[in-house]
Amino acid sequence: MSFLHFVEGPFFYFSAAVFVVFAIWRLVGIIRIGKKPDLAPPRGSAAAGFVKGNLRHFIPRAIFAERTWMHLVAGYAFHLGLFVVVFFAAPHILFLEERILGFGWPALPRWGFIIVAEIAIAGLIVLWVRRLSDPVMRLISDWDDHVGSWLTFLVMLTGCLAMQEAHDPLRAIHMLSVNIWLIYFPFSRLMHGFTFFLSRGATGASYGRKGMNP
Amino acid sequence: MVKLSFRLRPRCLTVALMAMLLSFAIAAPAVTQSSVRPPDDAVNTGQEPGLTAPLGSESDSDIWRRIKQGGAGATEGEAAVMPSVPGRPVNTFGTVLDELTAVQGGATSSSGHGRLIQTLGEDWRLIRRNYILPYTGWIFLGVVSLLALFYIVRGRIAIKEGRSGKMIYRFSMSHRIAHWFLAATFILMGLSGLIVLFGRTALVPLIGKEANAVLASAALQGHNLFGPVFILALLILIVRFMRGNFFQLVDLKWLLKAGGLLGGHASSYHYNFGEKSWYWIVVLVGLLMSATGLLLLFPWITDKLVWHQLSTILHAGGAILMICIALGHAYIGSIGMEGSLDSMLRGEVDENWAKEHHDLWYEQATGKSAGHDGDKDGAGDATAATEGAS
Repeated sequence: MSFLHFVEGPFFYFSAAVFVVFAIWRLVGIIRIGKKPDLAPPRGSAAAGFVKGNLRHFIPRAIFAERTWMHLVAGYAFHLGLFVVVFFAAPHILFLEERILGFGWPALPRWGFIIVAEIAIAGLIVLWVRRLSDPVMRLISDWDDHVGSWLTFLVMLTGCLAMQEAHDPLRAIHMLSVNIWLIYFPFSRLMHGFTFFLSRGATGASYGRKGMNP
Repeated sequence: MVKLSFRLRPRCLTVALMAMLLSFAIAAPAVTQSSVRPPDDAVNTGQEPGLTAPLGSESDSDIWRRIKQGGAGATEGEAAVMPSVPGRPVNTFGTVLDELTAVQGGATSSSGHGRLIQTLGEDWRLIRRNYILPYTGWIFLGVVSLLALFYIVRGRIAIKEGRSGKMIYRFSMSHRIAHWFLAATFILMGLSGLIVLFGRTALVPLIGKEANAVLASAALQGHNLFGPVFILALLILIVRFMRGNFFQLVDLKWLLKAGGLLGGHASSYHYNFGEKSWYWIVVLVGLLMSATGLLLLFPWITDKLVWHQLSTILHAGGAILMICIALGHAYIGSIGMEGSLDSMLRGEVDENWAKEHHDLWYEQATGKSAGHDGDKDGAGDATAATEGAS
């Protein structure tokens, strides 16, 4: 078994299993924490607050617009770009179809994939630079944030370097970094990809129940 | 038992000797023509007209050289005429310039019209092999060595008065993000570009051809992909840092004092002469790199081969220039000078650092004197202006 077969085969299935099992385990754990019963009579809907809290946080409040526009743009560029690259790049769709799902869907043209990848990479670089440059961000960032950022960057970088699809070692390195990323994901702050709606929702529900705008 | 005997037969021996001499006589010219290469400066004494010498006393090499050089002649729809020889430029750069200045539709190597042999590719290859690779490589190594030597001799430049502990706001968040965004993409572009440029020369002996092929493929893909991101970062930096980077009279004084290296204090506003020069090099060379890079990334922009070849030359030259100066910039902005990194990392600098290196800006920013009033070359002007205004 070649190294490529190993990282695309057994190691990938193991990494994917760790990713799925422990991500679910953490989500269930968070949901099961629950909260203390609120004895005060409700003045609004907690469920509506949950939804509103999620939607409301997609756009910054006007008073913060000027000082947040840069990482807002970079944040959307990176996250949306990463989503599109992961799920709409032709090699990824083919891989998922062959290895897991058994079906595929239309892929982005190559030029579209390249543009989106560039946007995502630019966004990630700006976000990481901000993490270093902003005194508050620097203070609240620990090694987990940096490792998460760098692992994600490594996955994207190795993917870009393997774009010619002409050398097995480059593909193997990309898959290796993907596997490491999948294993690291559930145990790190990368989990915010799944938990953001819970935290936003919890805040929104709390405010909503009090009849306030989240 | 078999008895071996040898008897000399004079008649057979004579026949054999004659046959041998005859075969030598026949083979000698053929051997001379096929395996003995005349020296480059050999004088051709002329040949008989024939297939290999259609112009009689003209040598083959002269004829082929004329065909290669080209000139006035016809190649399409008319009988080919032996071109008049315009004289080939002795250096290959001349050929490239000839191609660039050729009138539209004229005879060029790019278009292929009017020439039987296209030599521009060979000229470009020679420029790349004989000039770009060795010289840029040595320049790069020279700069790295100079910086190491400077650090060994001069050491870290400390703040003379020591740190005051009071910080002054120098660069906004958007300045810092613009700077590091460009720096990050520049590092990616620089590393991948150096692998593409020097891989065959420097890496093949170390890692072998196979590994270099993989690395070169990866570097090329990365370089092409990060190129547009670099252009975006460059444009953001140009706009964000333009204010304050236009040259002033005080910069000339700074230059004459070599930034204080020749003794005395060299005053400057927010940016000194060196920083302004670096900014404009980034602007001009960066835009040149972007333009040539885009031409190489999208070769269909022009069908003139010479533009692509010129782009590779300018791209490589500009890259080495920027990388070398960036190394100096990174050195002085980090380990080379105490307190410099704070400005781009935290956005703040120590007051004593500001007084020492950017006194006029310090006076503008704080309204206080930087304490260089004895320096008649500009320090204290801002204080006087501020006081005058108030």
